[in-house]
Amino acid sequence: MSARDAILRRLAGNPAGDIRAEADALLRAPERPAVDPAALAEVFAERLAGPSVSASLDRIARLEDVPGAVRRYLADTGLAGLYLPPEPLLTPLDWSGLTIESHAAIDGGAALAVASAAVAETGTLVLDTAPSAPMLPNFLALHHIVLVRGETLVAYLEDVSPPAAWPRARYWITGVSGTTDIEGQYVRGAHGPRYLHVLLLG
Amino acid sequence: MSGGFKQRAAAALADPVLKTAVERTAGTAEAKRALAVAAFADFEAARTRAAAIKDHVVANLGHYLEQFEANAVAAGAQVHWAETADEACRIVVDICRRAGAKSVARSKSMLGEEIGLPHALAEAGIERVETDLAEHIIQLADERPSHIVWPAMHKTRDQVSALFRARHAEPHLEETIAAMAESARRHLRAAMLGADVGISGANFLIADSGAVCTVTNEGNAELSVVPPRVHIVTAGIEKLVPSMDHAVHMLRMLARSATGAALTQYTSFYTGPKRADDLDGPEEMHIVLVDNGRTKMRAEGLAEMLRCIRCGACMNHCVVFRQIGGHAYGGTYPGPMGAVLTPAFDGLAASRDLPNACTMNGKCQEVCPVKIPLPTLLRGWREKSWREGLEPAGTRGAVRLWAWGARHPGLYRLGSAVAVRAMRLFGRGWISSLPLAGGWTRHRDMPAPQGRTFMELYRRGKRA
Repeated sequence: MSARDAILRRLAGNPAGDIRAEADALLRAPERPAVDPAALAEVFAERLAGPSVSASLDRIARLEDVPGAVRRYLADTGLAGLYLPPEPLLTPLDWSGLTIESHAAIDGGAALAVASAAVAETGTLVLDTAPSAPMLPNFLALHHIVLVRGETLVAYLEDVSPPAAWPRARYWITGVSGTTDIEGQYVRGAHGPRYLHVLLLG
Repeated sequence: MSGGFKQRAAAALADPVLKTAVERTAGTAEAKRALAVAAFADFEAARTRAAAIKDHVVANLGHYLEQFEANAVAAGAQVHWAETADEACRIVVDICRRAGAKSVARSKSMLGEEIGLPHALAEAGIERVETDLAEHIIQLADERPSHIVWPAMHKTRDQVSALFRARHAEPHLEETIAAMAESARRHLRAAMLGADVGISGANFLIADSGAVCTVTNEGNAELSVVPPRVHIVTAGIEKLVPSMDHAVHMLRMLARSATGAALTQYTSFYTGPKRADDLDGPEEMHIVLVDNGRTKMRAEGLAEMLRCIRCGACMNHCVVFRQIGGHAYGGTYPGPMGAVLTPAFDGLAASRDLPNACTMNGKCQEVCPVKIPLPTLLRGWREKSWREGLEPAGTRGAVRLWAWGARHPGLYRLGSAVAVRAMRLFGRGWISSLPLAGGWTRHRDMPAPQGRTFMELYRRGKRA
C-alpha cells in the first residue's frame, strides 16, 4: 500500500455533517482590530508609520506623478538606478532622468512594484507574480517602492479579492525585512529590503 | 546530546550565560505578546475560534488532504506522501538527486528538523545552506535549534561574532549586532542565488486553492525558494486550513502570539511552479506531506496537539524553559509543546522526564493561541508512564506509601502533625537542609511550618 493510501485509510471516516457548511460557520463575525471604513487611507497611513511596518508614504494624485515621486525618493536616498518591471501601467510613463534597470542586481538598489491591493488593518501590501511582475527584484532591493492604487485599498485582510486565477505566488508585505535572531535585538534589513516606500495614488 | 534530561538540565542551570540569553529573547517576546493581546479586542474569543478551526480540520483531515492535493496538482505541483521521517528524507534527497543538485538553500522549518533532513542531505553529499539568520548561526556552530522561533537564542553576540569572523569571507568590521546581520546578508545572498534547490516548510496548506503559505520576518524564505530551479516543501499533514480566510484568522493569531506583531513581515502563498511567461520562480514545485506519527497522535488521545501552529508562546512563558533553555529538552521541539511531542516521536521510555519537568502552573495553556490543554496532555504522559511501569522504584515506592496513607486518614493526620512539629527542629522561618527533601533544599530554602496542620486549625474553627 502506498504511503498516501495508508495515511488516508487511517484518517477515513469523516464525522457526519456538511463539512463546507461547518467550515463557513467558523468564519462568521471574526474577531479583528476595528478599522473605520470611512477613514481607510488614514488608518492605512497610520499602520505604515507604526513601528512594526515602518514604511514611508508619499500620496500622489495622478498616475503621471509616479516617476516624479520615485525621482524625489531616490534623490533623497542618493540613488540613481531603479529596477522597473515590464508592467503595462508603468512602462508608458516618462522615466527620464533615472537609470532604468531591466534586471535586478544581486545587491540591488531600488525596485518598483505595483500592489494588487493594500490592507488598512495591518498596513499590508498584496503583490501577485505575473509575466509583468517578477518576485525576486522585490527581495533583492535595499529600497522597495510600491505603488498602491487608492481604489484597491480595503479594510481587512479578508476583503482582498481572490485573484481570477491563482498566480504562482501571491505575497503580502507588511514592513521591511528584519530580524531579532541575535540577542533578541531588532535589526532592519536582514535579507530583504531595509526600506519600504509606498506611493498611494488617489 | 549526551546524558539524560537531568544531567542536561543541571548543566544548563550551571551555565552562567545561558539564562541571561534565554531571558533576553523570551522576556522580550512575552512583553510584546502581552501588548499585542491587550490591543486586540476579544482575543479570548479569537483563541476559541482558532482552536475550533484546527479541530474541524483535524476531524476532517482526510477530506482536506485530498482536496489540497487535487488543487496543488491542478496548479502544477507534484505532491508526495511520507509515512515516516526516513521516507520523507528519502523523497527529498531523490528529488535533489534527479535535479542534479549540488547545493540547497533551506528556509527554517521545524518539520525539516523533526525528520532529520539536515543530516539526510549531508549523508547524500548535498551542500546545505541555512538561510534564516538563526539557523545559519547554529549551522556554523554545528548545533541544534534551542527554540522553534529563535533557534539561536542561546547564543550571545560575542559567540556569533566569533563564528562569523571564522567563517564569513568578508566579516563585520564593527562589533555591533547590525554589522553582524549585514555580514550574514552578504554571505548568504550569493549562496541563495546559486542554489539548485530551495527547501521550505509550510506554516499553512490551503485546501481550496492548493497554496502553500510560509511566513518570515527576514524574507529568507522568498530568497531561498524563488531563484532555484526546484522548490521542495516539507509539511506536516496537520498544517491544513480550509480556505484563505481561515488562514487569515490563524495568521492573526500566529504573529501576535509569536512576536507580538499584527502580521509577519512576509507572508507568501505559493501555488504551483513558474507559469509559462513568468520571469522568475522554480520550474518544479514538490510538496511532501509528512505523517511521522501524526495519524497515531490523532487516534491515541493527542488530537488536540495537532492544533499547534508552532508560535513558541508556550515556551516563552514557561518557568522551566526560561531556566534551562531548549537544548536540555533533548528533542526537536523544546518547552511545553516539546514535552508533549517528544514522547510521541521518540518514545516515552526515553523521554519520561520531560512531562515530569512541569510545574503545572498552567501558563502555557493560558497563552496558547489554539488553547491546547498542555498541562492535561503532560499529565496524560505521566499517567501512561506510571501504567507502563517506567517510573523508577523509588518514586513508585514513595507514591504507594502516600496512597496507603491517603486511605488511612487517621494515621495520615497523625503523621502530618508529627512532621509539622519535627520540621521546626530544622530551622526557624526557613529550612536550609531537610532529610528526604534534598532535591528542594539543595537549591533553595523551604519555608518552615509556622503553626499546626490544616486539619488541626480547621477543627479549632479557624480559617487561617
